[in-house]
Amino acid sequence: MLAAVTWGEFLANRMHELWLRLGEHIVLVSISVFAAICIGVPLAMLAFRRRWTQTPVLGVVGAFQTIPSIAMLTILLVLTGKTKDIPALIALTLYALLPIVRNALAGLQGVRPDVIEAARGVGMTPRQTLWMVRVPLAMPVIVAGIKTAAVIAVGIATLSAFIGAGGLGKFINAGLSMKNTKLMVLGAVPSVILAFVVSGAISASEWALAPGVRRRKRGVAGKAARHLAISLPLLVVAFGVLASVWNPFPKRRRAVEITHRIGMPGTVRIATKNFTEQFVVGEMMAQLLEARTRLTVKRDFNLAGTMICHEALVHGEADLYPEYTGTGLTAILKAEVIADPQKAYDKVSEAYREKYGLVWLEPFGFNNTYAITVRAADADEHGWTTISDLKDDAEELRAGFTAEFSERPDGYPGLRAVYDIDFGSVDDFDPQLMYDAIAHNEVDVICAFATDGRIAAYELKPLKDDYGFFPPYYAAPVVRAEFLEEHPEVRHVLAALAGRLDDATMQRLNYEVDENKRDPADVAYEYLVEQGLLKGD
Amino acid sequence: MIQITSVSKSYDGVSYAVRDLSLEVTEDETLVLLGSSGCGKTTTLKMINRLIEPTSGTILVDGEDIRAQDPVALRRRIGYVFQGIGLFPHMTVESNVSIVPRLLGWPAARRGERAHELLELVGLEPGEYAERYPRELSGGEQQRVGVARSLATDPEYLLMDEPFGALDALTRDQLQQELLALKARLKKTIVFVTHDIFEALTLADRIAVLHEGHLEQVGTPDEMVNRPATDFVREFFGKPAQQLAAFKEML
Repeated sequence: MLAAVTWGEFLANRMHELWLRLGEHIVLVSISVFAAICIGVPLAMLAFRRRWTQTPVLGVVGAFQTIPSIAMLTILLVLTGKTKDIPALIALTLYALLPIVRNALAGLQGVRPDVIEAARGVGMTPRQTLWMVRVPLAMPVIVAGIKTAAVIAVGIATLSAFIGAGGLGKFINAGLSMKNTKLMVLGAVPSVILAFVVSGAISASEWALAPGVRRRKRGVAGKAARHLAISLPLLVVAFGVLASVWNPFPKRRRAVEITHRIGMPGTVRIATKNFTEQFVVGEMMAQLLEARTRLTVKRDFNLAGTMICHEALVHGEADLYPEYTGTGLTAILKAEVIADPQKAYDKVSEAYREKYGLVWLEPFGFNNTYAITVRAADADEHGWTTISDLKDDAEELRAGFTAEFSERPDGYPGLRAVYDIDFGSVDDFDPQLMYDAIAHNEVDVICAFATDGRIAAYELKPLKDDYGFFPPYYAAPVVRAEFLEEHPEVRHVLAALAGRLDDATMQRLNYEVDENKRDPADVAYEYLVEQGLLKGD
Repeated sequence: MIQITSVSKSYDGVSYAVRDLSLEVTEDETLVLLGSSGCGKTTTLKMINRLIEPTSGTILVDGEDIRAQDPVALRRRIGYVFQGIGLFPHMTVESNVSIVPRLLGWPAARRGERAHELLELVGLEPGEYAERYPRELSGGEQQRVGVARSLATDPEYLLMDEPFGALDALTRDQLQQELLALKARLKKTIVFVTHDIFEALTLADRIAVLHEGHLEQVGTPDEMVNRPATDFVREFFGKPAQQLAAFKEML
């Protein structure tokens, strides 16, 4: 087993992506704040000039602000039927509206009445009064609103990774999914710095545009400083655009000897859900397709859950992702659990093709179902190999389950009925803490996921589900049928993974990522090379 | 010539800020509207350039009813000096002074030239003051800029609303003298609002005393002091005279 990576290596490995994500982040924020200015300032003027519109305008704009970000993103995802940037941009724009509208309105209303009377008195038309006097005098307040909006947008933009948009949130999201602190820091710290930079740049520009500075800062140096300060926000935007199209840091390439590539050129968009195993398997598929086909691979990893992946395929925004038979059956098809793995697979294959035009390729081999798991030492001592074996000792045993498992009908309630087992005590744990609890002897039985790396690492033993109670969760690539027709080579290439990854293998690979904090791409690559599926150099 | 005929202004239809006021301001004269606060003098002034619309009555400027004129155009040809300061805080002195020419679409070069001329006229060195902002000036300097601004297009009429009210006594005196000098050179018809009797006596060709919205008396300073037509006017001018006498005795 390899040692965990150091910060230095980690940063060096991630610079290319950090640069790109920072660029994307700035572009997301810039576009949405610009849009919010274009919408918000005229709205404020409307509210100012037609007083009766003030309450509805502020009410609606304020209501957007009260919608929790994740809810907003999800609603927009459903409304627009798109993942990624479009809903993220709309959400960010809506959030940016309130500070802009409120400040612009306050600014317009806050101009001293004697100045306005003077404007009328010298013979300005209402329009001239607005543009030559009111707006310029309101400008500092308007700009302060824009600054607030931009800083808020930098923060909220980190959440848009939740629905697959780019930006620094990708790191935070991936870090959360893999419990990788370094990744979370890589997303969080730059976004904090970016918020300061954005706020500072706008303040500098504000200072340089204030009346009087022009006269005080004369001379070549003063003029240069002033112009620099004015253009700072634009420089930040320009940097963002530049960084999202041009990258000085080398993209990390894993050496692959390319012998023969098949199929037609094109692009394949691979999606995954938001947990480690999905990333590892997604990377394996991506790297194999990169090495063996003429397709360009686009990775839309870490989408927030089953529904988003499924919708992305149905709407043709992604081409394939790894899914589990049990999930397809219960979550997507809303069908009854089928205990027999082959029957379950046949059922989802058929229903997916008919209903959604999606094809299930051959399963990878592992079954990521719930596994009632005990310490290996205890199992040896008591001779436990199946769940039924626990029955006699159950009253003595302390169980630690996830809250979900305690409630789901295919979790503990069902288990109790089918096996007639009642544990002495049952406590709910966070999935992460559950493994620690059993390792530290705080509980004796947990509901592990069969492919979790900690089963091996913590010397645990999953017991055999002798009554076949847990539904099978065999993983397989799900592909758009239309895409598969254009690129039949994908089926051929991915067949190399079919049946190859058993539970033990997946446990080992997941452990590399979860516990040793290694990049799923590296873990996948090493496995493929080790298996002779890729030739490294 | 400005002819105000039976003009009334009521905001609520019950009480009157100005009631049945008739006045004439003849060419090149300085008419001072004098009275204590709330007497309707500022309202009267503002009705002349339609910042306030009268409830009834007519106002003719050069024989034309102002209600038939575009208020914006009307204001551009009547200079106005505001109570307090009324300068645009976000514009330089030069921009403030040349605002009306700018509204009238004069070319930039001519505006700049005119602004410099005007600053010199009100005793502000253009090289030193043109690029400054109002808040960088003293109260007296600001009010000079205000006067310069009102003169920008060389209007025939000037409306001045307590322009020197906020200034200290010395500065006020200085500006009053300069205004007299300016007036002698420029030949303007001026309506000047003040509550200060001495300012009125210094500047006025004729004084109109207003009290609670109606005209008490109109006449030359000499007439006001020596032949007051009403008790109010006698009282109004008598008080300061007594105060002055008491002050003299102390000396």
